[in-house]
Amino acid sequence: MQPTSSMNEQFLKNWQMGLQIFRPSIDNTSVSERKRAIKLSADVAMASLRKGTTCWSRALIQKAATEDSFLVRQMLAGIKEETLINRKLPKIVCHRKIVRRSKKILMRRKSSSAMEEVTAKAKKLVKRKTKGLRNVVPGGEFMSNNVLLIQETLDYIVSLQTQVNVMRSIVDAAEAGVER
Amino acid sequence: MLEGLVSPESLSLSYADMSVPERLKWLQQHQQQEVLSLSSNDSPDLLQILQFHGSNNDELLQSTFSHFQMVGSGFGTNYNMGFGHSHEAMDGYISRTSSCQIHSPDTMGVMLKNSEENRAISLKNKRKSEVCLIIVKTREEEKTEKKIKVEAETESNISNKEASSDTSKETSKGASQIQKLDYIHVRARRGEATDRHSLAERARREKISKKMKYLQDLVPGCNTVTGKAGVLDEIINYVQSLQRQVEFLSMKLAVINPELELGVEDLSVKQFQAYFTNFPVVIASKPSVMVDVPLFPLDQQGSLNLSVSNPNQTSIDAPSESWETQSQSLFASVLR
Repeated sequence: MQPTSSMNEQFLKNWQMGLQIFRPSIDNTSVSERKRAIKLSADVAMASLRKGTTCWSRALIQKAATEDSFLVRQMLAGIKEETLINRKLPKIVCHRKIVRRSKKILMRRKSSSAMEEVTAKAKKLVKRKTKGLRNVVPGGEFMSNNVLLIQETLDYIVSLQTQVNVMRSIVDAAEAGVER
Repeated sequence: MLEGLVSPESLSLSYADMSVPERLKWLQQHQQQEVLSLSSNDSPDLLQILQFHGSNNDELLQSTFSHFQMVGSGFGTNYNMGFGHSHEAMDGYISRTSSCQIHSPDTMGVMLKNSEENRAISLKNKRKSEVCLIIVKTREEEKTEKKIKVEAETESNISNKEASSDTSKETSKGASQIQKLDYIHVRARRGEATDRHSLAERARREKISKKMKYLQDLVPGCNTVTGKAGVLDEIINYVQSLQRQVEFLSMKLAVINPELELGVEDLSVKQFQAYFTNFPVVIASKPSVMVDVPLFPLDQQGSLNLSVSNPNQTSIDAPSESWETQSQSLFASVLR
């Protein structure tokens, strides 16, 4: 699925709305402040495209809310997302030492043939990669199974692509304006 | 290739009310009829035979073959084909299961076994057809009653159509009994375990692999890599690079546009749309290209080329450093 033009427009609208909220307090800000504001509003705009249906969008909104809750609340005022924001699964906690110890004991008991070792290593690798993916995708720790993780990743990638496209075209337009 | 026989038991509404001995009795009657009917290739004949043997007519039998009529008429032509092919398969089945040991002492058990084999011949089920029955395996138990696992596959309930698309495969074990249970509608394949857990696992695994294929289409450069780990690696890199691009673009916009106006007043919507359509989605053609450091203008008049490319596969840290150094230099150049 590729980002559609309607998604682009929607994102742009939301983003502009967010920046408008920020604009009054703009005079004394440094570049980094502005950058932060831009990024935050872009992220919240991206997440609000999904209107709270996906896990990553909720996680992203939560992260933005920890940084600037006022902005977030203003941006999401139109949508009744307050209820959807906090509906999350408990974090999956993994005590690594205990898990490792038990795995060692299991491996000792098993008599490993060549095939088993290979498949076990492949599985370990895949597990490590999925853990890495969970770290990258927002809200990844809250996705309980791999199916959900991959669905969310799919959606997140598409949204990121719209975000990057819109931002890049804005930047280029601004560039063209600056040159003139 | 085995053809399927539509069994009326699955359609019977009152079936659940029967106790097991009644069911066995009914089966006994039914398979007698079936043995006779297999020689005849016509569905109306089958019905006649059923009616003939209806001397043991319970209500069950009535209700079941009323259902059977309903389905049988729908499957009229298919039925002939099914029966035509069924003979060799049936023989094969009987020979295969003859060595199967069953604890039941009475002749009823033996008859049941035959009936089960007959029933194990399944109609070829096209997806558009309504009901198909595949009998899976026996579970030998201490009691004399045996249980048949039935997996009914209905159009609306197929959880995993791709798995069951290969309808020519059958289960490995032959003898079975009918039990009233609700099943996840996945067809078991030949030579694979047919208990619930492994079926559910297999359905899950195939869901995951289907989604991974979508991801492979989405992420550029994933087609060359095989295996889950490589694809996941590419996905991780891609997502990270997209996130870094967002950071960079926002920084750039902050620098260029201190008023934080997105300049919509200047540009019309059409112009924006032109931008959107002209810009390809964040994709580069070559998979192994290093992360392109954007070219910064030496003077203020050049335009920035933010070329997007695939992330470098080996080192992720190096590009991030270059992002930051370059952004600092941009900042410096703009301030000049």
